[in-house]
Amino acid sequence: MPIEYKKNRALFRDVVTVEEAEGLLEWLQTRPGAQADLAACSHLHTANLQVLMSAKARISKWPKDPGLRAWLEPALQTAELNSGK
Amino acid sequence: MKRVLIVDDAATVRMYHRGILESAGYIVEEAWNGIEALEKILNAPFDFYIVDINMPKLDGYGFLRELRQQVVPQAPAIMVSTEAAATDEAAAYRAGANAYLIKPVLPLQLLSFLSLMLGEASQ
Amino acid sequence: MSSVPMSPLLEQFLSEARDLLECSGAKLMHLEDAPNDQDVMNELFRCVHTLKGNSGLFSFPEMTRVLHAGEDLLGMVRSGHANYSRELADCLLEAMDFVGTLCREIEATHGVDASRARDSQQITEALHKWMPSLKTHPAPAGNGVAAAVSMGTPSIAANASSANGTHSVRSLLAGIPESTRKMALAHWRPGDALHWIAYRPLRECFFHGDDPLNTARQTPALVWGRVVAPEPLPPLADLDTYSCVVQFDLLTNAPREELDQFYRYIPEQVEIITIPSHWLLNSLENLGESRAALPAAPRRRSYSENDEAAFHKIIAAQRQILLLEDRPIWYAGRLKAVAAVLANLSSAAGHTCDEADIQAALADALSTGHPTLLLAWIDANPANRAGAALVSNDTSATAPAEMEKGAGSSLESGPGEVLADEGIKFGRRAEVAFSGPKSLKVDQAKVDRLMNLIGELVVSKNGLPYLAERAESQFGVRELSREIKGQYSIINRIADEMQDAIMQVRMMAVSFVFQRFPRLVRDISRKLGKEVQLVLEGEQTEADKNIIESLADPLIHIVRNSLDHGLETPEVRLAAGKPATGRLTIRAAQEADRVVIEVSDDGRGIDPAVIKQKAYEKGIIDEAALERIGDQEAINLIFAAGLSTAKVLSDLSGRGVGMDVVRSAVEKINGTVVLHSELGKGTTIRISLPLSMAVTQVMIVESDGQLFGVPMDHVVETVRVSGSNIRTFKKSQTAVLRGRIVPLKSLNALLGINAIPRMNSDDELAVLRVQTGGVEFGLVVDGFRETIGVIQKPLNGFLSGLAAFSGSALLGNGSVLMILNIREIV
Repeated sequence: MPIEYKKNRALFRDVVTVEEAEGLLEWLQTRPGAQADLAACSHLHTANLQVLMSAKARISKWPKDPGLRAWLEPALQTAELNSGK
Repeated sequence: MKRVLIVDDAATVRMYHRGILESAGYIVEEAWNGIEALEKILNAPFDFYIVDINMPKLDGYGFLRELRQQVVPQAPAIMVSTEAAATDEAAAYRAGANAYLIKPVLPLQLLSFLSLMLGEASQ
Repeated sequence: MSSVPMSPLLEQFLSEARDLLECSGAKLMHLEDAPNDQDVMNELFRCVHTLKGNSGLFSFPEMTRVLHAGEDLLGMVRSGHANYSRELADCLLEAMDFVGTLCREIEATHGVDASRARDSQQITEALHKWMPSLKTHPAPAGNGVAAAVSMGTPSIAANASSANGTHSVRSLLAGIPESTRKMALAHWRPGDALHWIAYRPLRECFFHGDDPLNTARQTPALVWGRVVAPEPLPPLADLDTYSCVVQFDLLTNAPREELDQFYRYIPEQVEIITIPSHWLLNSLENLGESRAALPAAPRRRSYSENDEAAFHKIIAAQRQILLLEDRPIWYAGRLKAVAAVLANLSSAAGHTCDEADIQAALADALSTGHPTLLLAWIDANPANRAGAALVSNDTSATAPAEMEKGAGSSLESGPGEVLADEGIKFGRRAEVAFSGPKSLKVDQAKVDRLMNLIGELVVSKNGLPYLAERAESQFGVRELSREIKGQYSIINRIADEMQDAIMQVRMMAVSFVFQRFPRLVRDISRKLGKEVQLVLEGEQTEADKNIIESLADPLIHIVRNSLDHGLETPEVRLAAGKPATGRLTIRAAQEADRVVIEVSDDGRGIDPAVIKQKAYEKGIIDEAALERIGDQEAINLIFAAGLSTAKVLSDLSGRGVGMDVVRSAVEKINGTVVLHSELGKGTTIRISLPLSMAVTQVMIVESDGQLFGVPMDHVVETVRVSGSNIRTFKKSQTAVLRGRIVPLKSLNALLGINAIPRMNSDDELAVLRVQTGGVEFGLVVDGFRETIGVIQKPLNGFLSGLAAFSGSALLGNGSVLMILNIREIV
């Protein structure tokens, strides 16, 4: 499973495909404070990124893949800041 | 002289890659699917592999997985695909590819990858 | 109008495209009958996919666009996201036809006419209509998308967070983090291109299989990039996960053509703006930076720009591979390959001393199952670290530490099995097998030339026996005569083999003709509202290329007739107690040295009474014949020239249009047609053709001192008939041969030669029993000679008007042998 759902934490692994987005959205809807652990994620489909951005999900661990991290950090941090407003 | 195996079911693509490689002095052999490629390897392994994904009988992933289990020197392999999908790229790495390029590969790009991955200092 | 010179690669492309188009057409047909056949679907997908990939090697965007849409659609059908239907197949077939048209155009003109762009657009849209959620193409929503490029000053609408104004390049660049700007400048060299890309994915792009984030990440020579979200982002509850709302801004070093190439499938979704490189400098200077303060560019002077980019990509890929968490049985091989690549990269960069470090790191990874040291090696290498263009300083510093933590918990598989293949040496052959492709495509003209030369060789070698004879009889040197004969037999054998070999080269499977029938039958039967199941058999049967090619038109004629007039509509069939779906079988088989093609249907058949009546009305048969003629004979009247053109007939009998055309086409290549029909049950047409037309076996006969050839296809047997056994009735002669009454015809009389047939000393006539078109008769000649293979040449000039001869052939002694056209002389 590319996304493993723990109690309040979604663990992303390897490549997370477009098929995961719907499930992620549903899961996040019921858990407003949930965190995403992206450490083991090497890529996630845009659809998932949008969901994370829209949910303003907190990222507990950034991807180990520095390339991906460079993309996600600004996008998802902005969301965090916005949520703080 | 380094020997390169092109594994692709599209004759046009094979010809294209062959032309680029031969112009740079590589010895090129062709296989049109994974099975044929494996047979060639058991005959004599190669210094480099350029592998298509979608092929009949045994696809590129299957071929690489087999190659990486053979007791031959584990030479670098490039997977070439028309798709830029990240899933394909990750699957290529998982199967044993060392690089993933989108078709059509530009000649100079291909030669750069080859010479670097083969450890040839270009001058 | 795009145009390229006809290179061998383009020729190869067109040739392969033809094969792939034929294949995809056939698979589409097949899917009609078996829409759930996953294998066929996969093959179809691969055909289109390969074709698309091939077309990408050239600049035929009209073609690539259609193929791309076709591939997408097939991908959705294959994955169950779109439903296969006849109409969808129609759309795909039309798209493939269009691609075929383009191929022919490229072949003829080496380019694609500009007018095709609109067709391409329409077909692409038609294909898109079949994809769910793609019925319309709304302009991407969002703001600030349209980029305005004014004269002189490139400007672009930046991201949505800024108001809707346009910005100068300077302000664009100001949005880029300082560290990135530094890095961009560090990599920048005079002459480098710098491009700003505003990538605005279509909302529905996920359905095209696009992943914009991935596309953005893969953009060549990426310096910097960011995700641009609309403001505000839809709340989670309103978010449509299958609709793309984010956009991307990218900065890249790649040359424009490489970017066009990369985004060639979605050019409408990107705006690429060239940024004069001095803008980069200026923006930095404005910020108080100076070039001298920048970190030294980690470039090796011996490397080209391409190498630089490749180096970074390769390093990034090896890192990604090492970070994979699965441990498959080929894990050891995978690690070794990565280590080999790293060692090679290092030596390419001139650091030979790294080899040992890498080997040690590999050994550690193999024994522990954690590639920690290999990763550390990558990160420790300054050139490598700089390689990841998107790495900011802090992440690269923290990454290894994090990796260390992660590695400990993520591994379950034991490290032991990973080492299975350690230390075994592979015996590598000293001499390298150097094998080329196993088949070649050769221009037909070259094969024809070879065949003509071999034909001439066959003829000239036949002169040797004459020479041998003259050596003996005229010059009295028996010894020489014997030697010539000896040499002759050797040359003869080689010539025979050459002839055989060239025939093999020209052999071609009938599938070449058959493969067009599924489409033909489908289209016609649907137009006529008939249900027809087409059965093809023996498609691999081979015959000479010319034979196969000249078979196409007659066969199409026959199949059309069968569909038009033979097979009934479902209602009629049901009323007649037949299954609603008619059956049309086209079967090929080799019988001895002939190839036999049978087209049979289970339609309404032909009514001999109607044919007879019509033939009588047309004056083709007289009243006496009308009474006497048998059913089978009547049905064969359908081949008569006057009858077949009668338009009414086709409506009455269900058959007849152009059947004389079929017959003459088939007979032109020494074939025969026979038709059997049973009223209400169906019709079978059987065509028999020689396997090869290059060499005709003829029997030489003599009459009035002249030699003539009779094609062996017509010869049944040679007999001697005693004069007393010949009966004369009215003016015609007959003889009883093998219990049958056979009419006798004198060749002299048929050719208008004023001489009576010679009898031999036993008072016997030489009779050649011949048959043509189901009719048999005895041809009375003066004598029989040998049977030889000849290369028949058509008659030219005024001779071509002689219907009695089908052609001529050169004999070994240089004389010309006239070949009789048996059907015509009767």
